[in-house]
Amino acid sequence: MKLWNICAAIAACSLLAPAVALAQAKDWSSIKIATEGAYKPWNFTDASGKLIGFEVDLAEDLCKRMKAKCEIVAQAFDGMIPALNTGKYDAIMAGMNITDKRKEAIAFTEPYGRTPSTFAVLKSSPLAKLPDADKVYSLNPEGLSVAEKSINDLKPMLKGKVIGVQTSTAQANFLEKYFKDVVDIRQYKTTEQHDLDLAAGRVDGVFASISYLKGVVEEPKNKDMMLAGPRYGGGPLGFGVAVGLRKGDPELLAKFDAAVKAAVADGTVKTLSTKWFGFDITPAH
Amino acid sequence: MADYVELMGFGPKGWGLLMAQAALMTILVSATAFALGGILGALVAWARIEGKRAVRVGADTYTTVLRGVPDLLVIYLLYFGGSQALTSVAHLLGAKGFVGVNSFAAGAIAVGIISGAYQGEIFRGAFHAIARGELEAARSVGMPRLLLFRRIIAPQALRFAIPGLGNVWQLALKESALISVVGLTELLRQAQVGAGSTRQPFEFFITAAVLYLLLSTCSGMAFARAEAVAMRGVRRS
Repeated sequence: MKLWNICAAIAACSLLAPAVALAQAKDWSSIKIATEGAYKPWNFTDASGKLIGFEVDLAEDLCKRMKAKCEIVAQAFDGMIPALNTGKYDAIMAGMNITDKRKEAIAFTEPYGRTPSTFAVLKSSPLAKLPDADKVYSLNPEGLSVAEKSINDLKPMLKGKVIGVQTSTAQANFLEKYFKDVVDIRQYKTTEQHDLDLAAGRVDGVFASISYLKGVVEEPKNKDMMLAGPRYGGGPLGFGVAVGLRKGDPELLAKFDAAVKAAVADGTVKTLSTKWFGFDITPAH
Repeated sequence: MADYVELMGFGPKGWGLLMAQAALMTILVSATAFALGGILGALVAWARIEGKRAVRVGADTYTTVLRGVPDLLVIYLLYFGGSQALTSVAHLLGAKGFVGVNSFAAGAIAVGIISGAYQGEIFRGAFHAIARGELEAARSVGMPRLLLFRRIIAPQALRFAIPGLGNVWQLALKESALISVVGLTELLRQAQVGAGSTRQPFEFFITAAVLYLLLSTCSGMAFARAEAVAMRGVRRS
């Protein structure tokens, strides 16, 4: 019986051996990056199944700067942070905004993109006349009091309305923090689900990143939709979109940070974002 | 309509191939899970019918817990928890870095152990539907236990189990959609990717719905046929 146990232990070890060999020490010559593959134009998939978009191009550029071989894998957005922390991949580039809440779980590089968030509504809706259209407010400490005044100006018109937002996003946190008392916040798994409900009239408006909504309202089938109200950025809406990394990998963070800074400085981010978004999303440092 | 045909077709701009591959992945992962559930279910049924007290309590706990907690939670536990456990075991053995659970394996195992809890109950019910006299008759002629199982129990229990198994198979088929969270590109995840990438969610979700319906209808017909074959020697009253 004892001999049996030893045999079993040896067999178990030899089964594990190939897995052990795969998991070698990290010199970061190869990096695995996760993206969502379903968030046009940040990162999406073409009909042949290939990942494309702003972040896919940018990742390639960053990896060249870090002299690393990168593999980009597609992964559903929810569950991305725990999967990063268990080590399924080494970095996240998925249109992910830096927020205080996320910073508790993972580390971020300097931002490589910053796009404020705003509302989209139907042209026929009373919300089409939300005040302060197209004005940009910052929720960072220096602009907070002005921004809060504009939020209070919006509240009378938004009272009792239903606003859709993607769940576990910075935008959802923003609505929860500032509009919870007047607005019926409805959370969706994906942004296109709340767009469908907006088109169907089931919500009065949606709140999302302008880089995303701009593309939505420009689609021919969405000709009844428009952007409305002011735009908000900073604070709970995130300090910008950045590469997410494990807290335990400071060397990788330093490498990515240097690469992102260089790509912002030499205009690569500007070129790539103009190509994919139609406007510059370079964050002002 | 022409736009839809192009979008879901097999041309250079068509998503047909990707959707078909994803549907195949759905079938594969559900079938693997269902088969695994069958093995677990048979063990559970055996444990609850013949097992010693401790084994019986274990099997009871398994069916109660796995049928009682949300499926998504089981998937998360297995996928993230499993990776963590494997990694720490590998670290004990001196490895560095990450040892992962393959997403297909994690998904199939998660749905499989949920399916096993349901199938265990079905097999147990089916066993009790066998006339006791037949078992006693077999024992009285001195039939060995394995032969008794193969000739008397298995054919009759399976016959009674088929309708229930058909239900559990459809559950597995639909639960496979939850596996998208672990990064496996099955039908629902592919539909989400297509919807987010083309901004044509309606077309993708309708296509996925039709494909799911097709899968469940075809497999429903297969189960009906299996039931007819299994029941051919039984007179209907």
